[in-house]
Amino acid sequence: MQMTRDTNKAKKTRKPRDFHRITPGWNLIFNLIAGIFALACVFPFVFVVIISLTDESVLASEGYRLIPSQWSLEAYRYIFESGDTLLRAYGVTILVTLIGTAISLIMIALYAYAVSRKSFRYRRFFSIFAILTMLFNGGMIPTYMIVAQLLGLKNSIWALILPLAMNAFYVMILRTFYSTSVPDALIESGKIDGAGEFRIFFKIIVPLSLPGLATIGLFSTLGYWNDWFNALLYIDNPNLVPLQSMLMRIESSMQFIQQNSSNANISMAAMQSLPQDTARMAMVVLATLPIIFAYPFFQRYFVQGLTLGAVKE
Amino acid sequence: MGKSKKRFSLAITALTALSVVLSGCGGGGGNAASGGEGTPEKPVELIWYTIGTPQKDVNTVMSEVSKYTTEKIGATVTMKMIDWGDYQQKMQVMVASGEPMDIMFTSSGGFDYVQNARKGAFLELDSLIDEYGKDLKNTIDPAFLEGSKVDGHNYAIPANKELPQQEVWRFNQNLIDEYKMDTSDVRTLDSLEPLLKTIKEKAPDITPFAMDKNYIPYVPYDYVIQNLPMAVKLDTTDYKIVNVLETPEMKEALTTMRKYYQAGYIAPEAATTGSTSDLGTSGKWLLDRAQTQPFADNVWSASSGYPITSTPASDPIITNNSVQGSMMAISANSEYPEKAMEFLNLLNTDPALRNMVDSGIEGTHYNKTADNRLENLPESKNYDMPSYSLGNNMLLYLNPNDPDNKWDEFKTFNESGVNSPILSFNFDPKSVSSELAAVQNVKEQFWSSLMTGTVDPETYLPQAIEKFNQAGLDKVMAEAQTQLDAWKAENGK
Amino acid sequence: MRNFFKNINRNKALLFMVLPGTIWFFFFSYLPLAGTVVAFKEYRFSRDGFWASIFRSEWVGWDNFKFLFSTDDAFTITRNTLLYNLAFIILGLVFSVLLAIILSELVNRRLSKLYQTGMFLPYFLSWVIVGYFVFSFLSMDRGLLNQILGWFGVNPIQWYSEAQYWPYILIIVNLWKTIGYSSVVYLAAILGIDKSLYEAAMIDGASKWQQIRRITIPMLAPIMTIMTLLAVGKIFYADFGLFYQVPRDSGTLYSVTNVIDTYVYRGLMTTGEIGMSAAAGLYQSIVGFVLVIISNYVVRRVDKDSALF
Repeated sequence: MQMTRDTNKAKKTRKPRDFHRITPGWNLIFNLIAGIFALACVFPFVFVVIISLTDESVLASEGYRLIPSQWSLEAYRYIFESGDTLLRAYGVTILVTLIGTAISLIMIALYAYAVSRKSFRYRRFFSIFAILTMLFNGGMIPTYMIVAQLLGLKNSIWALILPLAMNAFYVMILRTFYSTSVPDALIESGKIDGAGEFRIFFKIIVPLSLPGLATIGLFSTLGYWNDWFNALLYIDNPNLVPLQSMLMRIESSMQFIQQNSSNANISMAAMQSLPQDTARMAMVVLATLPIIFAYPFFQRYFVQGLTLGAVKE
Repeated sequence: MGKSKKRFSLAITALTALSVVLSGCGGGGGNAASGGEGTPEKPVELIWYTIGTPQKDVNTVMSEVSKYTTEKIGATVTMKMIDWGDYQQKMQVMVASGEPMDIMFTSSGGFDYVQNARKGAFLELDSLIDEYGKDLKNTIDPAFLEGSKVDGHNYAIPANKELPQQEVWRFNQNLIDEYKMDTSDVRTLDSLEPLLKTIKEKAPDITPFAMDKNYIPYVPYDYVIQNLPMAVKLDTTDYKIVNVLETPEMKEALTTMRKYYQAGYIAPEAATTGSTSDLGTSGKWLLDRAQTQPFADNVWSASSGYPITSTPASDPIITNNSVQGSMMAISANSEYPEKAMEFLNLLNTDPALRNMVDSGIEGTHYNKTADNRLENLPESKNYDMPSYSLGNNMLLYLNPNDPDNKWDEFKTFNESGVNSPILSFNFDPKSVSSELAAVQNVKEQFWSSLMTGTVDPETYLPQAIEKFNQAGLDKVMAEAQTQLDAWKAENGK
Repeated sequence: MRNFFKNINRNKALLFMVLPGTIWFFFFSYLPLAGTVVAFKEYRFSRDGFWASIFRSEWVGWDNFKFLFSTDDAFTITRNTLLYNLAFIILGLVFSVLLAIILSELVNRRLSKLYQTGMFLPYFLSWVIVGYFVFSFLSMDRGLLNQILGWFGVNPIQWYSEAQYWPYILIIVNLWKTIGYSSVVYLAAILGIDKSLYEAAMIDGASKWQQIRRITIPMLAPIMTIMTLLAVGKIFYADFGLFYQVPRDSGTLYSVTNVIDTYVYRGLMTTGEIGMSAAAGLYQSIVGFVLVIISNYVVRRVDKDSALF
């Protein structure tokens, strides 16, 4: 032990930052591991881009190639010529994501804040009221009835927004965040200054809890952007179909036709309406692009939020 | 906990109250139908769910349709289209939750007809047909109504179209001509061999025998459940259900398939190919098998862009599957079942209405070129409907390249059909559903590779039979036999 | 009674804050709960809608449950759900902590950031999209994987109908999608470790490896425990998209891809077995409930603030 310490000390005098850093060899290995994994994470997307740029006829003979023998922009032309379907789907998704995230942030933040307040008399009741919803669910059909029939939201953009607006799990995360990172004294001083609860919340609490809010906001943004299920249930109007659901529909129609390929009527009628392989991949690319561009920005806040809030040392 | 339990029971109470209100609405509407509504002055609204990619102009066309139907029967029509792949799932949820609807598309391959009829999703139509559907009954082939009975009752109106199923061999005529082959003697699977052999030798880059994983060699049996090996021989007298894998016909067919596979007539990946549309586009195939209808060759040739011909591979047989291919049912929760029946009656007998539903508005989507002929206009791309799912096909106007005698040929074809012995017998799998699921799994394992000749039937056929029996096929067959015997006695066969 | 109103009045602002959420929970969570009685009924449609159908359907007691557990299905879906989640938890923990440590040790911070950005991508994609990605690799006649196998003279494999590969495929796909995210969580925790600890260790002459073993990992232990326990609490719930979209709903694969969530979904949407499906859902809720309670209790013992309730 003494020996190593001595040699280490000797080294340290020569290379003063030795302890901070791993050796160049290990650095290389670590870089390789992290680099390869990062590449593996990005590669499928690149591959799908390549497929979407492949000539359809080449695809039939040589399959999905990394370097196809013939490139083509046909798929994208097909999509843009086939009308405004994709554009509309984009619009729906963006609208739903924006409004949805705003609404759910407000609802979750308010609820979580109230149940985090020790002076709130009914805090236990409302905490349990929220938590119980995480444990049981009534199932799809009763939910469908409430949304479609009782609330009458069928074929309305609200059917895509409201079912995802609240989430007990996020409420609990945010509650923990408030109760650990917002000192009671701050609220008390606000009260002494004569500010009302809402004023305290918006003027003092919100600025303090931005990272936490950003994290929850990102979760719900993702939830809205990637949701296809509510559209499957509640949307018949082709003008209100969001992006993911559109992709999903194409896929399930393909499967339906394959399963019924012996039925001449169905295959003849349905085949015409389906885009080809490359066009489908092009749609995947177009549906992913906004995320690709936007997520590095998300990521920054995300890491901040995680460092400061949801994760406590 | 006591507190929240109390709250919970409160919620339940509120719910019950709500459901009363909700059901009250439905009930009230139904009663009102008999009191003054449903006249041209005060039409009722019929909601109609159908399958297919939603079309832009549906609402425009339906408002035109509604004008017509308001005058004729005092009802307006709202059509909701649900995309192919979503139809089954969405209808399941909507029907279960009692979503208001009057008419819906059902078939053996999309929102299963028999299963849902038994579950009570559809209204039983026997008396409604007698009262409001007399014209319809006279118009469509009686075999349709007879064949689509479930447990002795009608639950849906089948579309009048091709009635029997007939298998044909299809040929890529260009290749047949090029290599001077003769298809006139072709009928059985064995009779294909000289053709396959020739093409394999002379044009090795052609797939001689195109097929996908759903291919099953034709044997003269009718399946009790589609794609499961329980079947009854077509010329049966004792109505015995057999395992089709154990029949000499299937054994022989599979041996032939194996021979073809080993000779390279079949693509090596046939057992896993989902679709042969690639081959269709490239034209690199010699023959395959398909279901036909009159003038199918013309349709196939037109859609592939090169001539396709066909010769029969089986007799035309009327089966449950062919009868239940496209039907319209009235929902069990329909507010206006009588009006819905009147509408179905009109749709299946009135050419003006039927063609409006099918092709859209005259002058916008199509032009009439003769009494029973039409020509699509560019706008028709916004209203491109699957004709087969929308009622009586034989009322449809002809397209420019349809022959004059199109529907006569269909009638002749329909008359040529022979009833399957088990037509209108519908197996009720409820008591054996767990066995059935297991059988289904075994099928997924063995079926495609056996049927396409990918594996040797000498070793794999006995294995498959044993696996099926282990999974409980015996029990399922026994149950089916009991039901069939009871059905036979009841129907005096 | 007067006290009650006084309390209400005193808390009215906070009550107002929970109001929207409470209404939401009532409509979207509690009201549908009454639908679970279907599990004890033989469901038949009635013309007056779902509640009336339930009301008029015949009580069958525990028949739906008996039936569910008499088939192999109950065993298969329970086994699949538990084993997959277990694999996800263990492998996910090991790999993401490893990756977090690797990322924290990289000399070049810029590169480290770049890697993180790459790794984070899959987390943002929907399962629909991931399903397409996977298909481009595994398609029988066109996929990349079969082409690569072809270079080595291996015959093409029909991935979507050979069950034996799928446990690996699903685990890899799940790890691929989630590790990037969870390793960033751990990385954040590592960066939050007090620097003076390392300095002290260096003065004592501890090597980098010793530092990792003696400081980094022990400091990560609480958060590792909590993340794991939270995951254990949800072990009875599977990620629907992963098990439904990625295997493309292929029937041959059900033996290894069917989990409770997909079973409930198919029961409802495809086969129309509403009663059975509700029974499976209730079974999941109850076992899941017990597991959540237990793991929350354990979390509470470890770190009171991290407990959910």
